[in-house]
Amino acid sequence: MISFQQVNKHYGDFHVLKNINLEVQQGEVVVIVGPSGSGKSTLLRCINRLETISDGKLVVNGITVNEKKTNINELRKNIGMVFQHFNLYPHKTVLQNITLAPIKVLGVEKSEAEKTAMYYLEKVGIPDKAYSFPSQLSGGQQQRVAIARGLAMKPKLMLFDEPTSALDPEMIGEVLDVMKSLAEEGMTMVVVTHEMGFAREVANRIVFMDEGQIVEEGSPKEFFANPKAERAKLFLSRVLNH
Amino acid sequence: MDFIGAYTPGNLSYLLKGLLVTLEVAVISIVLSFIIGSLLGVLRYAKIPLLSKVIAVLVETIRNLPLLLILFFTFFALPEVGIKLEIVTAAIAGLTLFESAMIAEIVRGGLVSIGKGQIEAGRSSGLSYTQTMWHIILPQALKRMIPPLVSQFISLLKDTSLAVVITLPELLHNARGIYNGGNYKIVFPILLLTAIIYFLINYSLSLLARALEKRLDTDRKQGTGLRKIRQNQKQSRPIPESF
Ligand SMILES: Nc1ncnc2c1ncn2[C@@H]1O[C@H](COP(=O)(O)OP(=O)(O)OP(=O)(O)O)[C@@H](O)[C@H]1O
Ligand SMILES: [Mg+2]
Repeated sequence: MISFQQVNKHYGDFHVLKNINLEVQQGEVVVIVGPSGSGKSTLLRCINRLETISDGKLVVNGITVNEKKTNINELRKNIGMVFQHFNLYPHKTVLQNITLAPIKVLGVEKSEAEKTAMYYLEKVGIPDKAYSFPSQLSGGQQQRVAIARGLAMKPKLMLFDEPTSALDPEMIGEVLDVMKSLAEEGMTMVVVTHEMGFAREVANRIVFMDEGQIVEEGSPKEFFANPKAERAKLFLSRVLNH
Repeated sequence: MDFIGAYTPGNLSYLLKGLLVTLEVAVISIVLSFIIGSLLGVLRYAKIPLLSKVIAVLVETIRNLPLLLILFFTFFALPEVGIKLEIVTAAIAGLTLFESAMIAEIVRGGLVSIGKGQIEAGRSSGLSYTQTMWHIILPQALKRMIPPLVSQFISLLKDTSLAVVITLPELLHNARGIYNGGNYKIVFPILLLTAIIYFLINYSLSLLARALEKRLDTDRKQGTGLRKIRQNQKQSRPIPESF
């Protein structure tokens, strides 16, 4: 479903992604971990071309992402994205936040889009907030709306960039629970997170990055019990002792 | 001071005539500079190769010239290159040129103040650049632009009085005309009345702006019943169906 083949990316002189090779199969949950600045967000954002790659090949859903003829909006409508800071539209109600893209991009009827939106709001547990504005919700509720907004496009793939990092501790659980149930339903997910509990429990595969490289890749069991790379050991000892 | 001698029907109607010219020039200039300024501001913001750079240079140049100089230019210098404008047209042209540049910056400032995350959220959901601008960025930016736009319009209205230098028969010009006859006893009353007129118009513009801002401020509404918000949404801000 996602295939990075020898992908490199530079910011000017700075080599952010180095020879990335990564395959993600349909239905897989891949969690990317690594120290700050290691290129996790950049890697994730290449998948829906919020960042462009410098060389190599990146294929998502059978579409070569960085080809001139690629219709980027066509690619993106099958990829949902959830951001660290939610990025809900503050001037629209929760319902309007969720229905905007289905109506404008997929051409769904408004009433149909609202029905779908309500279905996903039920799913994330806040149907009663449909007519609220984002500023009236807690952080955890806003992030759940953002997830519902992504799901309403019925994407084949969901990307999460540190979805719980901006949340108060007591709200992290409610968001992770939603993500967990999504994973159980077979959604293909790529998740950047510092939540090691979630990684251990939900991931099919852990990808450890450092300084723009994929240093280690394996099942959560292997990775947590017995990290091979020295840098991964160091990273784990730091995050797990917190 | 001679209030009775100042406020004769003849003088009052002469002031009124001046007021009408002021309003005419101001309203036309406001409308034109709002249209041109918004266009320039959006185009500069959109970072279109070459075009945005050219606009940036133009806007910065004009913004850093005195309005008075621009008015002299449109009235006295343009005829030298064969463009001879009527006084009213020259005043409108000068004001529009200057105010368009000011408004372009206000519009661009409002647009850049909306975080990058909003564009990313829109684009990553499959909306095109134009759709993202229209449905997500512009409505939020517009709300932030209202206060500076209105204060710009107010200063435009006041700045019409600068056109006195090209003998535009506007409010202040006519006020001066009344007491220039040599009767110094009416200077104070006439200028007082002129001041009151300017104040009333500009102050009501500010009030209007405040009301407008409040109406657009839907996302900060706290603790309102669900149904009420819903109605408000429907009435006050219809979502454009297409671009
Ligand atoms: N637009 C940019 N221009 C230049 N350098 C950038 C840009 N965006 C990111 N970088 C750099 O690229 C590196 C990788 O950034 P990235 O955001 O992918 O890291 P990350 O692993 O997600 O870190 P974090 O855990 O802090 O989010 C960082 O050193 C960052 O400073
Ligand atoms: Mg990051």
